Amino acid sequence: MNILLKSVKIIDKSSAYHHQVKDVLIKNGIITNISDKISKPNNCKEITLNNLHISNGWFDTSVSFGEPGFEERENIEHGLEVAAKSGFTAVAVNPNTNPVIDHKSAVEFLMNKAISNAVDLYPIGNLTQHAEGKELAEFFDMQNSGAIAFGDYNKAINNANLLKIALLYAQNFDGLVMSFPQEKTTSTLGFVNESLNSTKLGLNSIPALAEELQIVRDLFLLEYTNGKLHIPTISTAKSVKLIKEAKKKGLKVSCSVTAHHLVLTDDELKGFDTNYKVLPPLRSLKDNKALIKGVKDGTVDMVTSDHNPIDIENKKVELENALYGTIGLESIFGSIQPVLGLDIAIDSLTEKPRAIFGLSKLKIAKGEIANLTLFDPEMEYTFTKENILSNSNNSAFLGKNLKGKVYGIYSNKKLVLR
Amino acid sequence: MNKLSVDNLIGIKNLKKQDIDLIFKTADHFKEIINRPIKKVPSLRDITIANLFFENSTRTRLSFELAEKRLSADIVNFSAAQSSVKKGETLIDTANNILSMKVDIIVMRHPNEGAADFLSKNVDARIINAGDGAHEHPTQALLDSFSIREKLGTVKGKKIAIIGDILHSRVALSNIFALKLQGAEIKLCGPKTLIPKYITKLGVAYESSLEKVLEWCDVANVLRVQHERMDIKYFPSVREYTQLYGINKKILNAINKDIVIMHPGPINRGVELTSDVADSKQAIILNQVENGVAIRMAVIYLLAQQIKR
Repeated sequence: MNILLKSVKIIDKSSAYHHQVKDVLIKNGIITNISDKISKPNNCKEITLNNLHISNGWFDTSVSFGEPGFEERENIEHGLEVAAKSGFTAVAVNPNTNPVIDHKSAVEFLMNKAISNAVDLYPIGNLTQHAEGKELAEFFDMQNSGAIAFGDYNKAINNANLLKIALLYAQNFDGLVMSFPQEKTTSTLGFVNESLNSTKLGLNSIPALAEELQIVRDLFLLEYTNGKLHIPTISTAKSVKLIKEAKKKGLKVSCSVTAHHLVLTDDELKGFDTNYKVLPPLRSLKDNKALIKGVKDGTVDMVTSDHNPIDIENKKVELENALYGTIGLESIFGSIQPVLGLDIAIDSLTEKPRAIFGLSKLKIAKGEIANLTLFDPEMEYTFTKENILSNSNNSAFLGKNLKGKVYGIYSNKKLVLR
Repeated sequence: MNKLSVDNLIGIKNLKKQDIDLIFKTADHFKEIINRPIKKVPSLRDITIANLFFENSTRTRLSFELAEKRLSADIVNFSAAQSSVKKGETLIDTANNILSMKVDIIVMRHPNEGAADFLSKNVDARIINAGDGAHEHPTQALLDSFSIREKLGTVKGKKIAIIGDILHSRVALSNIFALKLQGAEIKLCGPKTLIPKYITKLGVAYESSLEKVLEWCDVANVLRVQHERMDIKYFPSVREYTQLYGINKKILNAINKDIVIMHPGPINRGVELTSDVADSKQAIILNQVENGVAIRMAVIYLLAQQIKR
């Protein structure tokens, strides 16, 4: 399909047209012209949308789609549609499925589900067999099949020696190892942040200490092995500090933060609302601020929604019995843009995560592949159930005021609009 | 004020000082009634109450049941051991099933924090929290304050020590909220491993030494160590706990005043209290039990008043 995007503001700092308003012509998936005024050629669809901005297509590095095993929460086909309509042209899907993604054929199953989709799906393989944290999975084999990184989602690798071996072994084929930051023995029964709030509510907690202990351990292992490590979804101020120091030392470490950890705190738990039960747990305002600063100064490499649809049967229960997770694809842009600013928000969803996870570099320029997100960064609205596209409604952002709305994507020669 | 500011009793956190005053005033009246030869009043003849106990309880359940019977309410009892909860039924379904039987008030004890709050948001009945995990146990805190008021005339300005396992205790938390609301001074005492890290932000102090805290206080509310809520031993042995935090006559004799000893029960005799302390005149442990019935009658009566009939 040939597309003419009329008067769009281009947000791509690597492009010569950064922050300029242009017409953009896409023919057969390639950007063929960017000019002030382009008249509509034959066989071309013209798109005019209010305050239309485009950036390189967004990439979310932590998304769960339920399939296989939890199709009542979400499935891949619909999940990818949610991603597309939320502005994402690529997603890395977590191996928190049943069965887990710990071998080549499971990776291939996921890849096959996304063939010829507008959104590129990149599986994350389990680092350990059956996600049990005991034996390494065949992650070279999985990488050859299309997996882009290896970790057991939000299950920490308790065995330090196993992580050490993984960090060494991955160097033979430039694999990306992920280690979830939670030291288990200091947080065995916990499920919310340790704070005045957890004290008032009498809830068992996961202290910031649990995360920081694990990160310290992992950074020591990283230094020892000279490997490459990604720490997903950090949540505390001290974690930012530890990673900043490690990067300064030259360690090959990257990390992400979720949108909810940038803007929500554990104050939300006062009504025992299970939509705020996430892992890592929501922390304090001080942590929010440090994480935002971390994204701005480059310590935190990327923002993820950690999109995790959970069915009502596992959310409309007592807080302790509820499963962790919030959906987030639909709300991520509108929630992070007000605190990060437009350029940094886009950066945290495009260039840096793509580089770290080994995806091709994108650029908005003539002759480049069109892999674009279409949005209006100014639109303000209150996020309600009507804004949810997912099959599950467990959003921590219900009732929150957001700024920035997504129109859709153009990717893989397909235009998907909301 | 002759009406509570809340529709349910989920926690002391949600109450105002006036609510506590009203509950106490009402309980004074009921305490007088339960000491009459005919202990029963017909106030709640058309009210049905379900006692849902998802966690073991003897004294709280009996106390509620007695309070309900003294008010002439119809009651149904339900305990997890003999219920369909074990067959996988959710809390909402259990409660809704019972509600379909036209129950007006639910008294619930549950092992999960927030369970009473959850129920109040999802079923159409008045909820009284009889203990939810380590969150709150509001009627216990009310009866504790009521007992202090009875013994010392007032709670305001009194120095209250809460001693023992604070970390796992809903009684401690509800007591802190209730005592603060009434203007008491509070010090916590116990092994540091059983004191929540952020507890002093609630406006209470911590004292490590049992002797010092007993010298300071007017009332010592002694709590049981809740082994059942622990994933690991928070101190090496019960013997050592008793050496550090067990109250015996010798320690009490060493201080120059008669402090009031309280305990929500069940007492581990010889651990947190020796028998001679538990059975002494200083101890008002059995008064607490008696006051528990009056307080629960008051709470049930006041909430039932708000039901449209």
